[in-house]
Amino acid sequence: MVLWLWITISAVLLFAIIIFGYYNKFVRLINQISNSLAQIDVQLKKRADLVPNLLESVKGYMRHERGVITEVTNARKALVSAGNIQAKVKAGNELQGALSRLFAIAENYPNLKANENFLQFQNELTAIEDKVAYARQYYNDGVLSYNISTTTLPGRWFASLFGFRGREYLQIEESERAVPKVKF
Amino acid sequence: MVISQQNRLSFYDEIRKNKISSFFLIGIVLLVLLALVYIIALIVGTAYFFAILILGTIISILYVVVGYYKSADLALASVNAKPANEIQYRQYHNLVEGLTLASGLPKPKLYVMNDPQINAFASGRDPHHSVICVTTGALEKLNNQELEGVLAHELSHVANYDIRFMTLTAVLVGMISIIAQIFLRSLWLGSTRDRDNKGSVIFLVIGIILAILAPIIVSLVQLAISRRREYGADSSAVKFMRSPTGLISALKKIKYNSEMKVSGAVAPLFIAKPNRTAELFSTHPPLEKRIEKLERM
Repeated sequence: MVLWLWITISAVLLFAIIIFGYYNKFVRLINQISNSLAQIDVQLKKRADLVPNLLESVKGYMRHERGVITEVTNARKALVSAGNIQAKVKAGNELQGALSRLFAIAENYPNLKANENFLQFQNELTAIEDKVAYARQYYNDGVLSYNISTTTLPGRWFASLFGFRGREYLQIEESERAVPKVKF
Repeated sequence: MVISQQNRLSFYDEIRKNKISSFFLIGIVLLVLLALVYIIALIVGTAYFFAILILGTIISILYVVVGYYKSADLALASVNAKPANEIQYRQYHNLVEGLTLASGLPKPKLYVMNDPQINAFASGRDPHHSVICVTTGALEKLNNQELEGVLAHELSHVANYDIRFMTLTAVLVGMISIIAQIFLRSLWLGSTRDRDNKGSVIFLVIGIILAILAPIIVSLVQLAISRRREYGADSSAVKFMRSPTGLISALKKIKYNSEMKVSGAVAPLFIAKPNRTAELFSTHPPLEKRIEKLERM
């Protein structure tokens, strides 16, 4: 009689420990995911903040390149006014694209390329591009761990018990993946 | 991607192993010190026996505690490293910030040591109290991608708590060898006084053996361990960067540019061995083998 009682108690305890373990694992992974999203957000904001200064340093040299400058300005506006993170990431990508075109055109201006200020902004924006890529990589790693643990057994049962749902990866845009066309 | 997932999980194993090793290292060092104190107390004689025992115990414990909390500062001070200014070393900071985003680690404090050779090390007791130090030569001679590879290697040491064990070993063992030397020297001076005392002769012999053996044994253990760690840090560096190219090319440059004059105690901390040493006693696997392993990834 006493033996049965002990067996039941230890089974219940064991089950509770397993459930707690899984619950905490899900919460930890979700925290990692939202933290890396916040990091992406921080980097995108830094990028948006740098753009006006960059344009200021470029202005004197690239008077005749109105097209690309407007493009950068508009992309920045879109990024600043973007509501959710998905839209921000998308706008951030567009801004990055516009900036790369601006830097490509800047190659034609030797004076600009020698400008200390401009070089600094260019380095900083390139560094931010790397940081966004790394933060996105970490986000996707987190989503991968999370999705694996919520779709494999027995995690799957606990996930549905607590209502944890799978998360979406941050995809690279088709336009980004395409090789840029070079015109001569 | 699934493979990298498994790698990440194995980090927890590495961290646990390093924490346990560090714990035992502190324990062993403390025991060795206490044994030394006991022997010194016995040699000096009954008059001051308990005074020396108590004082020695307090000093030993202080030594280990300071070693644990200040190990990074001691390592940095021994190579005369200076904090890396965020504006002057912008690229260095940017690269580390990017890697911390890739690994989810807090940003270590960054230092620079003035040396034309290419080398780097990481130190600290955990990721929240970690430092990375590179030579000015590394900043000048490596391109961005190569420097990033080196920094990713150092950050891997931070992530899996290698830094705790390695720095503790460097500081605690390094200091033991100094203390043992002092002990040995004072024994030679004091030995003529009470030559007739048989008991003190035995302790003298034990004391000498201990003073000679302790640092050798502990540093041999340390050498055996740190070779495996370098391969581990290389492969997690590739995991952070998702490409081995930068690190491979950096190691190739380092091959001809890593020899420096640093204290033997901190030598194992560096990414490539700073001193010319025999293969058996080498703290690092040969660079050729590391490059070969990386190229197979």
